[in-house]
Amino acid sequence: MSVVAGSIASALASIVGHEGVQEDGGARARFAIDGLAPRWVVRPAALEQVGRVLALAWDAGLAVVPRGSGSALELGAPPARVDVVLDLRGLDQVLEYNPDDLTISVQAGVTAGALAARLAPHGQLLPLDPPGAARRTLGGLAATNASGPLRARYGTLRDLLLGVRFVQADGVVTWGGAKVVKSVSGYDVPKLLVGALGTLGVLGELTLRLHPMPDAEAAWLASFRELAAAQAFVARLLDSSVQPSRVELLNGAALEACGAGPAAAGIAVSIATAEAAVRAQGETVALLARAAGGALTRLADGFWAAYERAMAPDGGVLLQVGTLATELATTATEIERAVAAALAGGRATVTGCCPLGSLRAWLPGDDVAAVGTIVARLRAFVAPIGGGVVIRRAPAALRAAVDPWGPVDAGRWALMRGLKDEFDARRVLNPGRFVGGL
Amino acid sequence: MPLSPGLVGALQQILGPDGLVLSREGRLVYECDMHTFYKGAPDAVALPLTTEQVQAVVRLCRRERVPIVPRGSGTGLIGGAMAPAGGVMIGLNRMDQILEIDLPNRCATVQPGLINLRLTRAVEDRGWFFAPDPSSQMVSSIGGNVATNAGGPHCLKYGITTNHVLGLEIVTGSGELVRLGGKVVDRAGYDLTGVAVGSEGTFGLVTAVTVRLLHVPEAVKTILATFPSMESASEAVSAIIAAGIIPAALEMLDELMIQAIEAGIGAGYPKGAAAVLLIELDGPRAEVEAQGERAAQICRERGALDVRVARDDQERALLWKGRKEAAGAVGRLAPAYLLQDAVVPRSKLPLIMREVLAIAERHDVQIANVFHAGDGNLHPLILYDDRNPDELARAKAANEELLRACIAMGGTVTGEHGVGLDKAKNLPLQYADADLNFMYRLRGIFDPDRIMNPGKLLPSHPACGEGFRPARPRLPEGTWV
Repeated sequence: MSVVAGSIASALASIVGHEGVQEDGGARARFAIDGLAPRWVVRPAALEQVGRVLALAWDAGLAVVPRGSGSALELGAPPARVDVVLDLRGLDQVLEYNPDDLTISVQAGVTAGALAARLAPHGQLLPLDPPGAARRTLGGLAATNASGPLRARYGTLRDLLLGVRFVQADGVVTWGGAKVVKSVSGYDVPKLLVGALGTLGVLGELTLRLHPMPDAEAAWLASFRELAAAQAFVARLLDSSVQPSRVELLNGAALEACGAGPAAAGIAVSIATAEAAVRAQGETVALLARAAGGALTRLADGFWAAYERAMAPDGGVLLQVGTLATELATTATEIERAVAAALAGGRATVTGCCPLGSLRAWLPGDDVAAVGTIVARLRAFVAPIGGGVVIRRAPAALRAAVDPWGPVDAGRWALMRGLKDEFDARRVLNPGRFVGGL
Repeated sequence: MPLSPGLVGALQQILGPDGLVLSREGRLVYECDMHTFYKGAPDAVALPLTTEQVQAVVRLCRRERVPIVPRGSGTGLIGGAMAPAGGVMIGLNRMDQILEIDLPNRCATVQPGLINLRLTRAVEDRGWFFAPDPSSQMVSSIGGNVATNAGGPHCLKYGITTNHVLGLEIVTGSGELVRLGGKVVDRAGYDLTGVAVGSEGTFGLVTAVTVRLLHVPEAVKTILATFPSMESASEAVSAIIAAGIIPAALEMLDELMIQAIEAGIGAGYPKGAAAVLLIELDGPRAEVEAQGERAAQICRERGALDVRVARDDQERALLWKGRKEAAGAVGRLAPAYLLQDAVVPRSKLPLIMREVLAIAERHDVQIANVFHAGDGNLHPLILYDDRNPDELARAKAANEELLRACIAMGGTVTGEHGVGLDKAKNLPLQYADADLNFMYRLRGIFDPDRIMNPGKLLPSHPACGEGFRPARPRLPEGTWV
């Protein structure tokens, strides 16, 4: 069987209504992915409609790109094909919230900002703070596994997503996980979908684990004359009973971008707990910082908001460099050197989550050859410790020329390709954008 | 079906004389896990010492389509590490080495047979611990914890095993040795580690695990509160959480359980106590002090008969003693019991406890309760006399009804024990055909011939069969030519 091409538009309209389908040039250009304009922009108003759109796409062999707020479209390789952009912002309902359970079920188009507003009166939060989170959708945050400084204490959506309703490539609406905080009933399907960039299913509804808002929070910046000293401070901090909620590394350029410094490196530490404990732990942080030769300053309340803004400039190239907590200084130094060498003395802005060794590097240029050289050099540097480099954001031309994900060993690759072959044999979902061109 | 002589010979070649159990009495030791209800002895038990041996055994069995059942310490509660279809059991308890401790990077890599508590013992003098603490932690293996995604009393704050696994080395059902995840947390691609944890040996066998270690908290505070009713205790649980306090553990015992413990060890619970709440807080000292006071105050406000705060480690051990003796104390109430592991949303605790009483009455059985109240994870023990088939039938009926009640309240079939053979049949209560079919296909990626731990986790159900496809959404009229 095949579908009459001319009837696709009317079929889409019969699923989501005429107002839910756009095919004029303006809309197609606005929703282009890496310069590739879709033939249709479809905005479903219910999960059931997503299922029917995908069933149609599956039968007609259309490529579908799920889209939330559009803030992470520069992640991944440019798509191989784009027929339909599925604008999921219409799925913006909170489905179930019982504060006593510390869980909430929402549609995937709900933004983290809208969620936070709903939770705040109950003294609860979803502890997820990647740059620009407030306007990003939860579906998008999950699909890209985005995270920020709070990851040091709370983990990522991998740890916060309890259950998920998603639509398989052929349109079948499917549920994985549970709506309670603890479940081992069957395979942990939600984990498979976090960070999968919508290539195994389109996220429709998410059940999330919430946390109580801490009573009080304070932050300090320990500044150092060299990265190695900052590293020594991190080692002392991790081997202490201090329980920080954020421990961020800032290199010299990052300190300047936040209006702090000048110094070679800083470690921003945030303690969030009962008020008396914030004070007591702050004293321990001060002792540890001084012992490592650092200068400590108390940060103003608005620091993390300013930090978030500084870490989310428009455009540019952002790398995520996976390393170890013990290799923060060596890796950050290597990033600085690689960037200075390839981009004519340019300075990289390096930040990252210290306990997890997860670094971010903003590059001061987007020359394809230069960035390619930097990425190759950094991949070679972290490979021996099992690390990797992912291009989280860059212009399309760059991501077309330089593999944004990096190599995956043969064993894991066989399983990943097996998953994609099983669940999206027709390559309907986001074709070409994920690891290895999946 | 007995193993072919060729296969047995090849197994002997791979494993050497001490590495293979073939005798009937030897194999019977492996016929069940702690859920002794389900019995099935394997045709042979392989006891490898190396990853290479594991891989060689899997490849051999795959060639002959012989089922493989992984086993750690055999302390599971779900009919997981037993061989209903015979085949080769691979016991991993001889692979019990700590391969690397890397405290600066807060992790360790261990072999699957390592006993859970031995890892903590190896690092505690330097101030570190491994968080997952199933009640069996003195005997259960980390490989088994990974397979079942085990929990424990302290997972309320720290999460279950999956939250502490960074990487796995596994031999898949297709005989491939693959490394998933690792010390570096940011990786490109699907989270294969995340989906492999809790797969109960149906994807393959874990041959090495990299786990997160945590720094011991500065202070621990243990509070024991007794209540005149389950309701008031349940309300205290909700109020503590609502006050923004996430204790490390929040455990509850009911009246029948209290009586059994008193009759046994005499934990000194006050007269008239119908519920005991055990609250443990850990973290920075000032935080623990502030939250401990608040939690104790909440208990008093909710009508606690008695609130005791442990002043030192000795008193702390005393308060925990009753809770830890619970499983043994049940033996004084009845010769046998069915243990349930369902979860309800925390706010439904008072409701489900009323339902438990009603179910016990309807089926004329006794149900004792000891459970992880903080996360709504119930462990009702449905008592029966195994010499009386009628009692067993009533216990089973009560069990089934209880599960359905939990699911109807938005809960789940198992919170921390796993599915195994025991609960596979219950998964359709919780999952639709499409959901089950997705899981069935997912398993096939890792174990294409479905030789790994057959009969476990996935139910015998049409949606878990080759060729089944769930109903797809209807296409609009006129779309077809």
